[in-house]
Amino acid sequence: MSSPRNRALTADVCVIGAGAGGAVVAAELAEGGARVVVLEQGGEHSTDDFTARPPEMLARLYRDGGQTITLGDPPIGLPLGRGLGGTTVVNSGTCFRTPPHVLERWRSDFGLELDERSLGPCFERVERSLSVAEVAPELAGANAAVARRGAERLGWSHGYLSRNARGCVGSGVCAYGCPTGAKQHTGITYVPRARAAGATVVTGADVRSIDVRAGRARGVEARLADGARLTVEAATVVVAAGTIHTPLLLERNELGRASGQLGRNLSLHPATAAFARMDELVDMARGVPQSFYVDEFAAEGIMLEGIAGPPAYAAMALPLTGRRHAEAMASYRQLAQFGLMVSDSSRGRVRSVAGRPLIRYDLDDADVARFRSGIARLEQLFVAAGAREIFLPLPSGTRPQAARRRDLKLMAFHPLGTARADARPSHGVVDGDLALHGIEGVYVADGSVVPSALGVNPQLTIMALATRLAFHLLDREVSSDTRPGVGMPA
Amino acid sequence: MNPGFDAFVAAGPWPQRLGTRALVALARRPRGMALLRLLSPADQLGTSLVAIARYDDPAVSRPLGWDAAAVIARGRTLRSHEGRL
Repeated sequence: MSSPRNRALTADVCVIGAGAGGAVVAAELAEGGARVVVLEQGGEHSTDDFTARPPEMLARLYRDGGQTITLGDPPIGLPLGRGLGGTTVVNSGTCFRTPPHVLERWRSDFGLELDERSLGPCFERVERSLSVAEVAPELAGANAAVARRGAERLGWSHGYLSRNARGCVGSGVCAYGCPTGAKQHTGITYVPRARAAGATVVTGADVRSIDVRAGRARGVEARLADGARLTVEAATVVVAAGTIHTPLLLERNELGRASGQLGRNLSLHPATAAFARMDELVDMARGVPQSFYVDEFAAEGIMLEGIAGPPAYAAMALPLTGRRHAEAMASYRQLAQFGLMVSDSSRGRVRSVAGRPLIRYDLDDADVARFRSGIARLEQLFVAAGAREIFLPLPSGTRPQAARRRDLKLMAFHPLGTARADARPSHGVVDGDLALHGIEGVYVADGSVVPSALGVNPQLTIMALATRLAFHLLDREVSSDTRPGVGMPA
Repeated sequence: MNPGFDAFVAAGPWPQRLGTRALVALARRPRGMALLRLLSPADQLGTSLVAIARYDDPAVSRPLGWDAAAVIARGRTLRSHEGRL
């Protein structure tokens, strides 16, 4: 048997990871004239391969079949996308700009000079690129209508969410691969742009080492699916392997450790959801699953957002067992669901144990209190909406205000912070320009740089920061105009 | 039983795979489920795992108003007509 052929490439920039951050950096750099190589560990997902069946899509589109779990009190499911597009392939598509109070906190607590003036053009550029727009009420679905009815009766602040979707018809399976190609994930937007601009995109590339000598980046080495070794010689390396895997890659290469913050400061936006049986037909999977929000309690760190899915999803998520579960599922068409996300003060840590990520995260008392309050609000919302029966994510008979930490059934979708940005080398892994402190030529462009919980869905923040980084590397001002040739060299 | 569910279980990290298979095996049996009830929240996890397989079956999901194949077919038609990726 012949041995696999080792390969070598040369580039100006090697980008590790093609998710929300990596794909954006790669495309913007390539269109700006840089020679770019993208190394993605996962595969390429074709819309043709989506089946709208949750178990199969969890196996295909998610790392570890979507079964990543934190170790802690309580354990929290943390599904992570994998492949070209990363988690943007399987997220709800919700787009929020970084809230102004968060940017202010970044300035005061982390010395980051990021404000509306500097990030505004980045947000605009991403929003245009991804066709970000508010969900039309007729697409929001009956599940959102239930929540809206409740919110209006209670006088709670609410609205329709903005999403990166174009031509959405409400297929209801955002988390399992959009079958219409409406959701503008980076795999069908920025990755094709990168390729069209000459970037080389390699899938199945497991990056093992980042070559840094005399404090300067030299390149990257990866192992390919056939066992061959791929070396990329590049003076600039952008690490975008995601909040869980970027710190592990850096740690393995003894990079970013000086501040002691690498792998720490993990925030998750832990979340849960309640179901309700309504009189009317809801058919929750008809319409946009996450189309509506209630931000009445956002200042308390509690955000209520829609969530929904097909029967297999609902069956997995229902907090019931036995006969009650079967009865509730028999009335699936009348089931509504709404979710709650906490802007967490809890912080966790990621380490590598036996080559696998160990994610340690315990919910602190303040976040437990937020969940008690938030679950009570979900119940209030459904009562106001006229629910016949409400299924809270708690053990049977447990009232929200009496919920113990271990009673909470939680998931999380927004890991952030494990290579946090801080202007001070003693406090951060990267600086305000996302450059690794003390190393020339290594940058990070994913959720790991975000230094605090956002309280809102993070993909737009990650993409805006990645856009800013790309233009910084090109030494150009960000243009919000995405027309070909505008703002770019001839 | 359900190739998609089997793929889901197989995709899990190895430390959990054994546990998942054991849970599913128990949860599918009345006596197994009775045992899991003594180990709450294992009963919830077992219920969820068995349920995702059961309700993924088109024969079960179609009477509940959900037809995955129809959703995919509509998506394919839209993409074909509009040149979407």
